[in-house]
Formats: sequence, structure tokens, C-alpha cells
Amino acid sequence: MSSILHAREVTKRFSGILALDRVDIDVEEGERVGLIGPNGAGKTTLFNCLLGVLRSDGGTVELDGTDITRLPVHQRARRGIGRTFQRIELFPDSTVREHLLIAERVRQGRGRLWKDLVGQGGPRPDEVASCDEVLELLGLSDLADEPIERLSLGKGRLVEVGRALMTQPKLLLLDEPSSGLDRVETAALAETLRRVQAEHGFAILLVEHDVELVASFTTRCYLLDFGRMLTDGPTPEVMAGDKMRHAYLGDVVLEDPAPVPVAGSAKNGGGVR
Amino acid sequence: MALAASVASDLFTAILQGTPPGTVYALIALGFVLTYKTSGVFNLAFGAQAYVSAVMYFKTHTEWGWAIVPSLVVSVLVLAPLVGLVLERLIFRHLRTASAVAKLVVTIGLTVALPNLFDLVTNFEAIAGVTPVGIVPDGASVFYNPFGNYAFSRNELVAMAIAVVAMAGLGGLFRFSGIGLRMRAVVESPRLTELDGIAADRVSAFAWALSSLFAGMAGVLIAPRFNTLSAGDFFNLVVVAVAAAAVGRLVSLPWALVGGLGLGIVIAVLNTFLPRWSEDVTWLRPLQDNLTPAIPFVVLFVVLVAVPSIRRTREAGDPLAGVDPPPPSLVSATRDARRTLVTRIAGTTFLLVVGVVLFTRGDDVWIFLVTQAVVLSIVYLSITVITGFAGQISLCQGTFGAIGAFTVFQLVDRYDVSVLAAALIGAVIAAVVGAVLSLPIRQLSGIWVAIATLAFAFFFDAVMIKFSWVGGSDTALLQGTKVPRPVIGPWDMGDDKSFLVLALVVLVVVAAAVIRIREGTIGRTLRALRGSEVAAQSIGISPARARLTAFAISGFIAGLGGAMLAMHQENVNYGNNFAPFAALFWVVLVVTLGARTVEGAVNAGAAFSLFDTLILKGTIFGWILRSPDRIPGIFPISPKWRFVLFGLGALQFARHPEGLIEASKQRSAARAERRRAAKETAGPPPAEPSPPVAVEETVS
Repeated sequence: MSSILHAREVTKRFSGILALDRVDIDVEEGERVGLIGPNGAGKTTLFNCLLGVLRSDGGTVELDGTDITRLPVHQRARRGIGRTFQRIELFPDSTVREHLLIAERVRQGRGRLWKDLVGQGGPRPDEVASCDEVLELLGLSDLADEPIERLSLGKGRLVEVGRALMTQPKLLLLDEPSSGLDRVETAALAETLRRVQAEHGFAILLVEHDVELVASFTTRCYLLDFGRMLTDGPTPEVMAGDKMRHAYLGDVVLEDPAPVPVAGSAKNGGGVR
Repeated sequence: MALAASVASDLFTAILQGTPPGTVYALIALGFVLTYKTSGVFNLAFGAQAYVSAVMYFKTHTEWGWAIVPSLVVSVLVLAPLVGLVLERLIFRHLRTASAVAKLVVTIGLTVALPNLFDLVTNFEAIAGVTPVGIVPDGASVFYNPFGNYAFSRNELVAMAIAVVAMAGLGGLFRFSGIGLRMRAVVESPRLTELDGIAADRVSAFAWALSSLFAGMAGVLIAPRFNTLSAGDFFNLVVVAVAAAAVGRLVSLPWALVGGLGLGIVIAVLNTFLPRWSEDVTWLRPLQDNLTPAIPFVVLFVVLVAVPSIRRTREAGDPLAGVDPPPPSLVSATRDARRTLVTRIAGTTFLLVVGVVLFTRGDDVWIFLVTQAVVLSIVYLSITVITGFAGQISLCQGTFGAIGAFTVFQLVDRYDVSVLAAALIGAVIAAVVGAVLSLPIRQLSGIWVAIATLAFAFFFDAVMIKFSWVGGSDTALLQGTKVPRPVIGPWDMGDDKSFLVLALVVLVVVAAAVIRIREGTIGRTLRALRGSEVAAQSIGISPARARLTAFAISGFIAGLGGAMLAMHQENVNYGNNFAPFAALFWVVLVVTLGARTVEGAVNAGAAFSLFDTLILKGTIFGWILRSPDRIPGIFPISPKWRFVLFGLGALQFARHPEGLIEASKQRSAARAERRRAAKETAGPPPAEPSPPVAVEETVS
């Protein structure tokens, strides 16, 4: 097994606050890895540093053996990092299929101005075919021509996954996919993801509040708190470990312990958005 | 020693010289920051508000001969806050949760509409030679010379004193009073503020009255600087003041004051100390002469590009920003195909009939107007690309057009290049300029692109056109910037009908290209970027590259259109056609009527060119009544109504970013859908509308 994602000593400061303190993280080929930690642990910051949305202050990120530390977001995406968003990010004014088509076109990199001008810019049959394949896999075939505005949140997340799949990622980063979904929807999403992963064989890094989802979906997980990687290992062990309890419940000395994450509800509907 | 002393004394004189204009910039910058802080609106219409009070003061004091105090009370203390309250009540109250870009477009519309509306209401015409006077007797004729090297006029001293007092007063208001805090809260998130039990309406009404009062005061104080009152001058001053305000990152009142004074002083100091090498190097002279007026625009551009914190988007701060519904898709994508076909056939037939009538029976005037409409439609398609597809408000389309026009003028005048080839070269140059311009501003978004492009347009206006290789100094002075019509083989486009055919051909080609770009890779890439920049990046789209492409295409089209416009008028006519304030109306028109479709651009071209003659002069009623003598007495209506109507039309942008035409099509499609649903579901008894229709209703 070789490492798809290999990040060493990633560090990020926000005006004096050390948000990430020399964090190491590895994801192997075809692996499903979780990243958990209480609010403010630095999960999203780490995510953003891996993606290039934030420029890290130190450390290196390698994707499949290539150093991508200095690359902008879109180049990392082209090299094989796909992602979904916690607060769903779709393209209004497009149908479901169009979301996938544009991703496919960008991946092929064959869009040229003169082709648009001579009328060759529309979707080609092979592009449509490969999009439909992914839609089929995600169970979205019926919705292919629906305007995106008519979809429910759960379906919207699937479209995000499909869009990411079209880039043929080596690593798929899922940013709290359960947020805004109920337990049934979350379970269905996890099931679909597992099926798709079996088919495509990419690795998954899952950032999640829903401990139940992490426990059932991932084989290995990282525990992050106060910008430091506390521990990692097989998911059941991390979940049962002292450090987990410590991170979420705090020391006995701490006067204001963080609330215990209740499975499936920690983030759902938390705060108005 | 003697040299040092003389330098010091020169410097001191220059600083004193720069203070009065600096005070003017500072006054407007203060008011601008005040509006931005208290209402969250990047208020380009600030100059229009100032203009209204300046006109009122001119009316009451100079024309009607009122004493100073009552004139001042009416124009500044009564009228100005009233304008602010009306604007807040009728417009901005409903836009509080709209995007920053939508608000900016509305203020651009107001910039065009408000001065013209006020002129119409008060029946004001600027009188050449009657200079506005200040608020103290003999303001411009009594001087004080405190240091023996620069004499301040009374007007200048009063303006300076008021600027300082106003800054202190406003600072105190923000720091020590509850209303200051509440105003800031309403700007950050009006929805959350209301949830906290604060009446956002009343707070924002107060904010608008206050900032409008300030605008009125600034307007009356700075009016004496102008020979005649014109809304365009006030707008230019606002852009300069934005540069001053940008020094304080648009939120700091003291820094706005410092920035304004600083700009004035820096300009004066540079004027004093710049070495005069231009005496020997002729090509440098325009640069030298215009370096100082260009400084504000350079400062503004540099601050926008180099200071990241200034463009921190406000929307990100509002936790409730995401509750708005997404914008609707184009109606032709959702409504049923037969309806689209019928509409298109009807439209084509109408155009054909108009064409036949025009070519067989139209006189010169009508041929001219229609050709102008066609040519402007080409220019407006550039706005369709940059604003409709890429979602960027560009306020320098006039500059791109001017580049195309001047290229034709120069190439034909100097090198005798074929006119059409020159037009294409001009379009390419404009495309390159657009692409290069997009590089420094690639990190900007929303309103900051609009402001940066505006700064560029003013820079071009202040410096570039003065170069002989752009504006053509000597020949242009003697004979204007003459541009000939092209000759293609046997066809001489000097004939107006032939030129109209050429313009139509170009329009059709460009329109077809625009439609193909929309449906092609570039259009879909831009749509993705406009929908969600982060998501677009996550699938490998480079925003910088996509924007570069969009600016280049838009520049090309605008350059080509600009060249055609110059050929049509056989003159560049920079001031009338392409100056930044003139081109502002282009954006307003296209955005009002529909920025996302070719149809919208063509309608905008027709509106610009034909609305005045057809509607305002009442010609259309003359046709209906079959005699020009029977046109009703209310015609002709003042052509200013064109600016008022379409300027106010831009207010619709917040609710219908797709434009009026598209919005009305959506409504009618929804109605048709409802009728069909009613027929299908219920049969004879009147039916309930079905759920999907209800969704469309809330959108349109």
C-alpha cells in the first residue's frame, strides 16, 4: 500500500493563535479515514490547508508522491483531490447533469475558445455517457435534467459527490456530509459512498461530527484537538480511548466541559444558517 | 542653505495649496464612509445626492434671491435628509439583505436617475456663466493670507472648518451614543439585529437621513468649485473621494479626512516639485501634465489590489445571508419548447417587418437611429459577456469601446490601414487590455471589481486620451477625431443603408458567437464560477484564467462595437460616447433590461437610441393616429426621462438580477403553466395551483 496523502508538520497561525501545530496525517490508497475532534479543534483549518484554500505557515503536503504544498486550489483538484462542502455548494441555474458535465470537461481540459465559437462547445456523447454512468451509480438518473434548485439537501450532497467523482479523484475529502441530514438520509449517503468507493477505489478522508457515522464508515481515524493531533489508529480503538473522552469531555478540572456529542444530532440544525 | 530654505518654503506653499481641494475630497470621503458604515451601501449615488442639494441651493439663493440662511435650511437641513429618508423608505429598506453587488447596481442607477429627476421636478437647467456661490457672503472674493504665501478664500476656510467639526461630531456619535452601535449592527446583519429586538427600519432610516444630510452639506460647500452645476462633475469627485476613503479602508472617519487632505496635498506637492523634463521630451509631456489628476485613480486601484483587508466581503459576516432563494434559471431552459418557438417566430417576424419598412420607407433620421441601435447592441453584448455570464460588474466598457474607436482613427489617419482591418486590430487591442486588466484584479470580487474597473476608466479618461498616439492631439484639435466609413469591394459604406447592413451582419455574427460561448465550455465555466467559486475551484476551474478569458472576450466585443460606433458617426466623439460617466448609463440599461441574454442587449441598444424619439417625442402616437399633427399635447417629453426611467429601472436589479424582460417572460411562463395545470388537474371547477407553480411564483 502506498500513501495517497502524506502531510507532515502542517502548521497554521491566525494572528497569534496556533490553529494547527505541526500536524501529520496520512491516507493510504483506497482507505476510509476519519478526522474527528470537538468544535474549534482545527479540523476545518486542516482541511482547508490540505485543499489549498488556506496557505499553511509550515509543513508539506504530498499527494501521491508529488509535493503540492505551493499549488493553488484548482491545481490540487486537477491532481486528484475531490471534495464536498459542509454548507452545500452547487451551481444555481444548472441541471444535475450539467454539474457533472462541466467537471468532466474541465478534467479533460479540452475546452477551447475556438471550439465554442464554431459550435463545438456543447456536451459530447462520450461526456454525457460518462456522466450518466456516475449518475446511475449514485441513483440520480431520474433527476438528471432537474434544475438544481428543486433538489433536497440530501440529493444535493449526492450531486456534490458526483461532481467530485467526475474529476476522478485519488482522494475524496468529505466535509461533514451529515450536517443538515437526518439519520436515515445519513445512513443512505454512507451506503452510497461505500458502494461508489468500492467501484472507483479512491481514498476518503471524512471530517465529521457525527461519531456514529465515523464509527461505522471509517477503518482508521485521527483525533484532533487544540490544533494538535492527539492520536490515531483503528477507529474503534480511538473511539474507546482515554484521549477521545478527554478531548470531548475535558479534564475533571475543566469547569466548562464541551457537551458530549450525541450520535447523529451534534451538528444537525445547530445554529441558524 | 538658501536652497533648503526655498525648498521648505515651496513645500509649505504647496501644502497650503493642496488643502482646499483636499478638504473637498475629505468632505465627500467622510460622507461616503458614513453611508458605507451606517447602511452597508457602497453609495456611488452620493454625488447625485450632493448634486440635488447644490441645485436646490442654487435655485433658492441665486435664482430666486432668497437670503443665505433660509436657502441653506431648505436645501441642506430639509431637502437632503428628506431625500435620504425617501431613498431609504422606497428603495434601500427593501434591499437591506440584498447582495452588495445588487446594492451597487442600484446606486449606479440612482446616479443616473436622481439628478435628472430632480432637474425635471425643479425645472432646473444649468446656466452657463452663472457660477454657484458658497454659503458665506463674498465667499469667492474675500481672501485671507495667514502665512503670506497662499490666500484662502472664505469658502475654502468655511469648508475646512465644517469638515473638521463634522468629523469630530460623527466620531463622537459613533463612539458615545447607542445609535452608532445600532447602526453598525444593522449593517452587519439586519436579520439578526431584528431578532435582537431592534427596529432595523428606524435605525437605517436615521442612518440614511444623516448621511444624506452630509451629502447635501458637501454638495453646497463644493458647488462653488464648478463653473456650472453638472451631475457628472459630482460623480467624478465621488470616485476621487472613494480613493481617499480607501486609505481608511472605507470604515475609518479620521483616516478618510486624512486621506482626502493627503490626496489634495500630494497632488499639489507633486505639481510643485516634479522636474520639468517634459520640456525636452515631447512624448512624456501628456504623462507629466496628467500625472497629478491621475493620482486618485492610481491610489484607488493600488489600494484595492494591494490591501487585502479592504475587500473582506460583508456577506461573509452575515450568518443569515444564506436564507435567500437562489436566482432563477433562464426561462427558455424551463418553459415548454413550443412556447419558446412561438415567441421566437413572432420576434423574428416583427424584426423582419420593421426591417422591410425601414429599408423601403425610412428616411435618413430613422436609418441613423436604427443603425445606432444596432451598433450599440454590439457594444452591449460585451456587457452580456462580462456581467451576464461572468457575473462581474465592469464599469470600463466605455474605455474598451474607446480603445477600438481610437485604434481605427489612428491606423487610418496615420498608416492608411483598411478601416475594417483597423477595427479588428482595435478589437484585439481592447481584448489584450481587458486581459491585462483582469490580472491585477483577479483576486477581487463583487463590488471591488466594479470600483477597480471604474478607477481604470477614469485613469484612461484623465491620462491616456491626452497622448497624441491615442487621442490624436494636433489633428484632433483641428478636425476632430475623424473616422471614415469602410469600403468593401463594390460596396461603399458611406451610404447609410449599406452601413446599416454591415452593422446588422456584425451584430448577427457577434450575437451568434455570444450564444455559442454561453452554451460552450467558457459559458459553463463562468456559470459555475458565478454559482460558487469554491466549488468551481474544487473541480479544477481556475478563476483567474476564466475571468481573464471573459474580460478578453468582453474587451474584444466592446472594442469592435466602439470602432463601429466611431465609423457610424464618422468621428470618435470620445466625450459623448465613451467617457466613464456616459458609459455608466450603458451598464444601467443592459442590467435593467436583461444582462444574460442577447435579446436584453439588443433591447438595450434600441432603448438607448430609439426610446427618446419613439416614445418621448411621441412619434409612435403620431403613427397610430396617422398624423404628426395629432400627437397629444404632452409630447415631446423631456429626453431626461430616459435616464430617469431606466435609472430607476435598475432598482429592479435587486429583485430581478436577470432583468425586466426575462422577469416578465418568467411571469408569463408561470401563468401559462398554471393555466395548463388547472386544465389538467381539475377540469370544469376552478383549480388550485399546483405546488411547483407556487415555487415559481415566489421566485418571480
